[in-house]
Amino acid sequence: MSLGWRIGALSNGFREATIYRFEFLIEVFGSAFVPAAIQMVLWYALFNLAGATTVAGYSYADLISYTLVSILFTQIRGGDHDFDLSEMIRSGRLSNHLLRPVSVVEFVYLRGVAPKLFIAGVCLVIGLSIGYYYGLSPARMVGAMFLALLGNIIHYQIGAALSTAAFYWEEAYSMLMVKNMIVHLLSGELIPLNLFPPSMQWIWKSTPFYLYVYGPTQYALGRWSNLVFFQSVVIAFLWLFVGYLLVRVSWKLGIKKYLSLGG
Amino acid sequence: MLSKFSTYLEILRVQFKNNFVREAVYRTNFFAMVTVDLIWLVLEFALFTVIYSNVPEIAGWNRHQVYFFLGIFFSSDALFTIFFQRNFWMFSDLVNKGDLDILLTKPVNPLFLALTRWFNLTALFNFVLGLIIANQYSDRAGFPGGVHWLLLIFWFFIGVVAAVMIRFVFSVWVFWTERSWAFSRLYYQFYSFATKPDVLYPPVIRYTILTVLPFAFIGSLPARALLHGLRLYEYILVVSVLIALYFVNRKLWKAGLRRYQSASS
Amino acid sequence: MDENRSPLITAENISRTFRSAKKESGFRGTVKLLFRPQYQVAEALKKINFSIMPGSFVGLIGANGAGKTTLLKILSGLIPPTTGQARVLGFEPFSRTKEFRKQIALVMGQKAQLWWDLPALDAFDLIRAIYEIPSSIYKKRLDLLTDLLDVQAHLGTQIRRLSLGERMKMEIIGALLHWPKVVFLDEPTIGLDVLAAHKLRKFLLEFNRIEKATIILTSHNMEDIERLCPRILILRSGELIYDGPPARLTEKGVRRLRVRLIETPTITELSQASGVAVDDIRKGDGEEIGREHSESDAFYFSVKHEEVVRVLESLLKRFRIVDMGLEEESLERVIHRIYEGKI
Repeated sequence: MSLGWRIGALSNGFREATIYRFEFLIEVFGSAFVPAAIQMVLWYALFNLAGATTVAGYSYADLISYTLVSILFTQIRGGDHDFDLSEMIRSGRLSNHLLRPVSVVEFVYLRGVAPKLFIAGVCLVIGLSIGYYYGLSPARMVGAMFLALLGNIIHYQIGAALSTAAFYWEEAYSMLMVKNMIVHLLSGELIPLNLFPPSMQWIWKSTPFYLYVYGPTQYALGRWSNLVFFQSVVIAFLWLFVGYLLVRVSWKLGIKKYLSLGG
Repeated sequence: MLSKFSTYLEILRVQFKNNFVREAVYRTNFFAMVTVDLIWLVLEFALFTVIYSNVPEIAGWNRHQVYFFLGIFFSSDALFTIFFQRNFWMFSDLVNKGDLDILLTKPVNPLFLALTRWFNLTALFNFVLGLIIANQYSDRAGFPGGVHWLLLIFWFFIGVVAAVMIRFVFSVWVFWTERSWAFSRLYYQFYSFATKPDVLYPPVIRYTILTVLPFAFIGSLPARALLHGLRLYEYILVVSVLIALYFVNRKLWKAGLRRYQSASS
Repeated sequence: MDENRSPLITAENISRTFRSAKKESGFRGTVKLLFRPQYQVAEALKKINFSIMPGSFVGLIGANGAGKTTLLKILSGLIPPTTGQARVLGFEPFSRTKEFRKQIALVMGQKAQLWWDLPALDAFDLIRAIYEIPSSIYKKRLDLLTDLLDVQAHLGTQIRRLSLGERMKMEIIGALLHWPKVVFLDEPTIGLDVLAAHKLRKFLLEFNRIEKATIILTSHNMEDIERLCPRILILRSGELIYDGPPARLTEKGVRRLRVRLIETPTITELSQASGVAVDDIRKGDGEEIGREHSESDAFYFSVKHEEVVRVLESLLKRFRIVDMGLEEESLERVIHRIYEGKI
């Protein structure tokens, strides 16, 4: 019974995402290739137009390979289900879910992560194939994907905790947008994080966001040692634990408030 | 012809007035909107700061010129937000819920009614902020200033017209699919091409954002015009692209409307 | 007063079919559909023919899904007929010329025609601007309409906050401000309480009488039909099966025989005894004043005029009749039987 509804949520989520095949492909195309194209444009501008030879110790080829490999991991990076949660709270639809004997936070997550898992599988296969051709270690690719998946969960946890602001504030979704923008920069999606000036490196190191894209990409490309990788995994689990606590506490408080207002 | 113009002007006036009726005001939470946009702007600045910490100049643009561009872009974008943003957001609802029928029985252009319904004056703050930023960097960017600022009136007009038509191209798909927000997402992805000076792009992309999807008209071309001046053929290009885009939009709208009406029961 | 006696609205062989995608449930169904989408064709209207003179008040009735709304949408130009031709005010509705749109009005009971998040007065102001109504005329009409419908107190409230009845009144006013020559009303009294519906009906009669507006109304409410429409069109499954005065339907010679018995037989027993079909016998639900539920309720037989005596005789043989009466079959029953295909 306890596994049943989870599988149901997963298959439901997968079906909903893919039932419109054309739109699904557009979404994947948009989220995968357009940001990568923008990055490539930056490298083009820096190296071809401005004549730089290395940037932060990386050559043109290094940066291109970062961009391409990072595509695999930006796809895994959490989706927007935290918006779903805050909308449910705002509109009152949460009440329907509170009646059910399952955790709404988990339910929304499983529903939303289903297509991502599918994509993760596809990306892993692509990554392994390309890696084989270019001499990247398959073990590292798998490890990188694992890290990215952990990142996916952490991202959702943070989003789920933030979405509880909707219990108190009508415009809470704006916080989620701000979070997404910050994460966009600090996860390594926009630019490799080592491009930050040395004085600003501490900024990304103190958040878990680099585990989403930057970490996995660097590890898959062989630029992170195994030691650093394992350290990151440990850090990820720590963040998972913290995230779990955050979600529990914030939702407990939030639901209390919600119910006291009559739902 | 003149009376038609005055009718539409009157409708515009009433629509505008109705945004301020006490009972019906749509107010974006000032804080929410401004914070999000400010952070966005800060991130763009941060991105270019990081890039320019590695090189002094790219394709003839130094960092101050880029900052100047960002200010212009931010203001132009704000104008679109003030007049059209929310209307486009509501557009897919209009079609999916069948509320378009309300507009179709009225003796004026339904698209006009749909696109002038909401005004969002909170974004006025953004508009002013963008101008302040542009002004802040104008000297270091080499902008003569003074009376040349008036050129912005023309360029803001161009920028908003281009933005509306591009947005329309991405919104019109709601007639054919229930999941039109996939196209909205795509629009926002592509929009990131507008937030950088067009000279940075490799030829293929540059050509695209100057013609097929003229994102460059929103901020890049205006900034270029003000800083370096444009050649005659580029002005001709702007006008012809907008005219062509207009006809494409018309065709899409008519096809979409036909689809809406034949699919309705 | 015979000005223009050519029909204002004509429908010639109008049919309307539309495709809708079939959706199968289940994962396999979804995958199948991804590769070969299937469509089903629905015939909403089949070869409808009629014409309507200016100043008429016509009722359009039919079960849900019979095609009423579709027909209204075709006549108002929202959708095209698949085959056939409609003409309203000399225009082809779907061409939606500006002149055409200026002279018609469409009110759909379920859907808004005004901006509901505005107060009524401001929504009307927009209507004024859209239809280019001169200010003085607008003011006069607004006063007249709000007076007739008694809504002055609510003009400043957001329409969405009003009760269903008040909202409907606002919708009607919004639709009539430009003094249309043709008014299409789709279920205007739905959800209205008895008093509000009564007032609305009175108003519509006035408007039709004084302004000579042609009104086409769909409704499930028999009161609307009986009180307002000298002519009705009945649709069943997309076909026009009756076009004429409602009175003619009830004249068809069917009577309603009311009988109260000492015994309490089942409907099947009554049917056997009287020879009347089970469907034509109904048990009253004790709603008459002063009757206790324990006393036997009346039975209602739908019987042809010629059969009344025979039925009574058969009943008398088996049961003891306490009370009886003979009435005209109600329009509602007749139409019900039409829906079910009995006529």
